Amino acid sequence: MKATILQGLQQAYDNLVHMVAEFLPRFVVMLIIVAGGLLVAALLRYILRWILHLTRLDRLSDAAGATRVLRKAALPSVIDLLSGLLFWLVWLGFILLGISVLHISELSEQISRLFQFLPQVVVAILILFAGLVAANFFSRAALLAAVNAGSRSPSVLSWFVRFVIWILAISMALEQIGLAKQTVVAAFTAIFGAAMLALAIAFGLGGRHLARQWLERYIGDKKKPARSEVGDEPSPL
Amino acid sequence: MADETFLADDFLRQLMSVGEVDLLVGIPTHNCEKNIGDTVATIEKAFQEKFARERVVIVGVDGGSTDNTCEALLNSHATGAANSRGITSLRTIHRIVTKYDSVPVPGNALRTVLAAADLLRAKACAILSPNTENVTPAWIENLIEPVYRKSLDFVAPVYSRHKYDGLLARILLYPMTRAAFGGQLFELQSDEFAFSGRLASHCLNQEVWHNEAVRDAPQTWMAITALCKDFKYGQSFLGPKLRPVGGPAPDIVTVVRQVVGALFWCLENESAAWMNKATERPTQFAANGHHWLEGADQVNPTRGWEMFRSGIGELTPVLQSIVTAGTLSEIERTATLDAPSFNISHELWVKAVYEFAASYHWDVLSRDHVVQALVPLYRGKTSSYLIRHQDSSFEQIDADSEVLCREFEKQRPYLIERWKVKS
Repeated sequence: MKATILQGLQQAYDNLVHMVAEFLPRFVVMLIIVAGGLLVAALLRYILRWILHLTRLDRLSDAAGATRVLRKAALPSVIDLLSGLLFWLVWLGFILLGISVLHISELSEQISRLFQFLPQVVVAILILFAGLVAANFFSRAALLAAVNAGSRSPSVLSWFVRFVIWILAISMALEQIGLAKQTVVAAFTAIFGAAMLALAIAFGLGGRHLARQWLERYIGDKKKPARSEVGDEPSPL
Repeated sequence: MADETFLADDFLRQLMSVGEVDLLVGIPTHNCEKNIGDTVATIEKAFQEKFARERVVIVGVDGGSTDNTCEALLNSHATGAANSRGITSLRTIHRIVTKYDSVPVPGNALRTVLAAADLLRAKACAILSPNTENVTPAWIENLIEPVYRKSLDFVAPVYSRHKYDGLLARILLYPMTRAAFGGQLFELQSDEFAFSGRLASHCLNQEVWHNEAVRDAPQTWMAITALCKDFKYGQSFLGPKLRPVGGPAPDIVTVVRQVVGALFWCLENESAAWMNKATERPTQFAANGHHWLEGADQVNPTRGWEMFRSGIGELTPVLQSIVTAGTLSEIERTATLDAPSFNISHELWVKAVYEFAASYHWDVLSRDHVVQALVPLYRGKTSSYLIRHQDSSFEQIDADSEVLCREFEKQRPYLIERWKVKS
């Protein structure tokens, strides 16, 4: 009995030593690959930044309006963005290469799935970015239009426009990566429907006089001179 | 010609049947069946009385009228009146019409008239609006004659105005144009003006016709082109201009977007011409007259002041991208003043307008948004003007306008500085 137990423990110990002896070199190789990848990625980032500065891409970006778009979306400059993207792509490649050296079949499968998933994630990020830019532009347009028309709550209108575009962009991005499609569609429908219902109730109850005036102005007596929204103002021309 | 193909075949046939002309009057029309007959009759009367020996044509350019405007223009009864010496026109007064678009686009309308003038080799041309109800034959004479007989290339009108009318021209367009381009044209954006065949050909050949600024306010662009290039320009007094009764009131936001947008775009487009040239070029006054009309309607400045205050409060994040911190804090301080003591100084106004123009140039936001953000400030300055000049005499207003012009000229180096270096 005692001998059997000691034999079992010896077997386990031998297995552990064998596994460690087999895994450790692979792990060290992985660490070397990851560290080397970090250096290579940093070097490539440095070289790319140097080339992009040399080609004056920043000025080209200024001229094309890309810098302004990125600034408004709270993103770094084109050069920083491109060089940062290269750094992370290269390093991520090295990290994945290093992990594959470990020969862990489940991890390899997950990595393979991640690679398949990556293009959809990139597209989703692009959708979010476009949504961010569109939300900024249209919310500002709504704010200016509301202020100049003398509306009472321009900021509310502006934020509503921004909110709707954000919701739309987020739902599209989630749809793109296939995350809980049913839930996203249902949530979007619920949020958008609730917002519209709230607006309709608010306009119908709180602003019924305004609604009446509006309908009278645009549908009722069309012969009435269309005065400026703001009342009497001196003629600009 | 830059692009002849935009003219309809039928219109080209009509032009060929007219042949060469000396004078051309273009009328951009849109649903003005009731007025167009009177306008045509006035033009024909002017031709018969003052230009009896000239070859003339009236060109109607229609922007999608749904009534019988074109038929009314072609078929309205000719007056056939004789002048003081008993002479009627010695030549046929041609009338031709084309539909240039399904909606009125001022730039396309003017481009069509310029193309017609170019093809017909017209020596002098005028544009008249059928919506101006008090056009007289003297207007046409005063516009065309300086071009036809005194070799001017561009003639802008000068109207008699009530003291609260034409404020955009008085507090922004005129002084800024004068400071930047060195030329004096008070009515930069007018419905009536005249130009030579030479200027028409020059403008027609520019690759600008698809630009929004030119499409919306082509008059402003044409006037500034005359100021910047080697063209002789002048002003001609026409008399009082009455606003159409019962028509839609001019919307301030639309006017500012179109006209100030066009002015800023011209500054951008002609920057090489104005940045290094500070010399004032002489403006010829082809016909002088009294510029003020008595009995202006009282306008309440309170509403504009309120909109200035609320607008500045709401637009602070937008204005931070457009004007400097110092200018913004000064504007915000002004917004705290109560109506009786409310005043936007000339210095602050000019500085802010120049910063808006530079921000337009540097494209810090959508250019249309930059111009729209100026509207609350314009309303504030207008209210400030109304409070200040409620009891002022015409002489006092003229003197104050001159002070504003000088302020624009004084701060011109600041505009250039802001234009050259992005802050």
